[in-house]
Amino acid sequence: MVATTPGAPPVRRRRAPRDEGTVTVGRSRTGTVVANVIGVIFSVLMLFPVYWVLNTAFKPADEVLALTPTFWPKHPTFANFTSAFNAPLFLQDMLNGLIVTLLAVAGALVVGFLAALAIARFNFYGRKAIILVVLGVQLVPFLALLIPLFLMLQTASLTNSLIGVSITYLVLILPYTVWTLRGFISGIPRELDEAALIDGCTRAQVFWRIILPLTGPGLVATSVYGFIQAWNEFIIINTLNSPAKQNLMAWLLQNQTTRGTAWGPLMAGAIITSIPVVVFFLIIQRNIATGLTAGAVKG
Amino acid sequence: MRHGKYPFIIGFLVVPVALYATFVVAAYLQTFQLSLTSWSGLGKIDYIGFDNFVKLWHDETFWKSIKHNLFLLILLPIITIVIALVFAFLLNVGGGHRGGQSRGVWGSKIYRIIFFFPQLLALAIVAVIFGRVFGPDKSGMLNGLFPASWKPWLFLADERYAMACILIVLIWQAVGFYVVLFSAGMGSISDDIYEAAALDGATRVTLFFRITVPLLWSTIQVAWVYLGIAAFDAFALVNIMSVDRGGPNGATSVLSLMIYRNAFDFSQAGYACALGVVLFFLTLTFAALTLRVTRRDSVEA
Repeated sequence: MVATTPGAPPVRRRRAPRDEGTVTVGRSRTGTVVANVIGVIFSVLMLFPVYWVLNTAFKPADEVLALTPTFWPKHPTFANFTSAFNAPLFLQDMLNGLIVTLLAVAGALVVGFLAALAIARFNFYGRKAIILVVLGVQLVPFLALLIPLFLMLQTASLTNSLIGVSITYLVLILPYTVWTLRGFISGIPRELDEAALIDGCTRAQVFWRIILPLTGPGLVATSVYGFIQAWNEFIIINTLNSPAKQNLMAWLLQNQTTRGTAWGPLMAGAIITSIPVVVFFLIIQRNIATGLTAGAVKG
Repeated sequence: MRHGKYPFIIGFLVVPVALYATFVVAAYLQTFQLSLTSWSGLGKIDYIGFDNFVKLWHDETFWKSIKHNLFLLILLPIITIVIALVFAFLLNVGGGHRGGQSRGVWGSKIYRIIFFFPQLLALAIVAVIFGRVFGPDKSGMLNGLFPASWKPWLFLADERYAMACILIVLIWQAVGFYVVLFSAGMGSISDDIYEAAALDGATRVTLFFRITVPLLWSTIQVAWVYLGIAAFDAFALVNIMSVDRGGPNGATSVLSLMIYRNAFDFSQAGYACALGVVLFFLTLTFAALTLRVTRRDSVEA
């Protein structure tokens, strides 16, 4: 707000600017170098384990267990990947994971969208209580629920079934879905609803024709998040189901214990297992901040 | 216009409410009920009053687990939040200003992806990876990087450092999410503020402590709650990574692990439920204490 004539040199510039319009923050060059060095070192720390997985997955067995590990596979091979694919139950568990995840995400989107509509567009008795419950459910430790959950699903003959796990995952990702979609719906001006109502739309048509399309980005963000959660889950599926009805996470763990030192195929399996999630992430990477934090950040 | 809204409300909410009534509320009530029994997990259910709670009061593993949960509860949020804040700051405003827009350091887009990457990996995979990182012989990653003359470090097999190893993995996994969370928060801080301060000669450090941290305070508190809850859980990592599941010698036992093992390995479902009740109240107390300060922001945002 300081009155400066356009083109006049800004106040207190430390040295001749390199770029037009640059105000260098703080102690300039040295600081920038230090900041970048810290960034690079930390990135290496963050990435190194992931790099090691890739490194191991492409190594033949004798190189994996070599006493002096190398940073690069000397004889890169796809053998670990084929051996993972041919391992018992690998494809079966992959399919299971996909079914369970898609069912849970689809269910959570439908149920969550309607619930978010109710919370965002109507004032009613008990609305605050429902919001509190939605938030509160994310806080309570889920592990303490495993025993009753097991009993309930057993009574309903839904243990060792993909349906039982899907419903449980739906319940797990629903609070986030409701909360995030509520944020997106609140962002749509009510004037649009009213205009449509005046033009003769019914309330249901307003929801279907106006709000649903405008919530599109929110639906994408929440479904990706839900996909990651459900795809990566293994405690519940491991407890409720037998190996033939589990997912790839549970498969990995099973194989870690039974085939102790077969690190190559295990790491190859881990890579295959991570691919869907990484692909999704790269697709929505630009919007990840809005998508994943919409429920947490005010606004 | 008001008439006819209740059919919608009831129709929209009946499914989620029913789901939560069954899967959360009824399930918790059952946990409470079973905590008063000596049930093994199969067969007859005998009520024994508060015996389970007396038993856990005298259970050495229980107190060890509480200690480990507290260790995580204090260190996990502090370290993660500090690292995430510093990096979010570097990514967003660390690089100075250009054309009235604050810039991140060079390559900040790449950093953002790199930091977020661990968040995408399933805990199962993370645990398997770090099992290799902390491998207690020369084929382990860290031991392989150490000079050949060193005796291999035991890491997770060493009672003294096992819990610290778990903490490092939890931080490694969590940091990325909070960098993104704080970046989103920082994006909403007006550039004018930074610019004005920069023109007045504020250094990066001053900008960070005098502008960024105070303006992000409510987001930091939300992060604190999330991380605290993660610290109360920590089941997946401990279960997979630790030696003997919770070992060596109980050095990595946490409450959630005790619940799981009692319920599904030791056939002491009643006792497990009692532990579940304790965990429930500990988590809620923590969340309530922290949320008290942020109530306005988190409920009616």
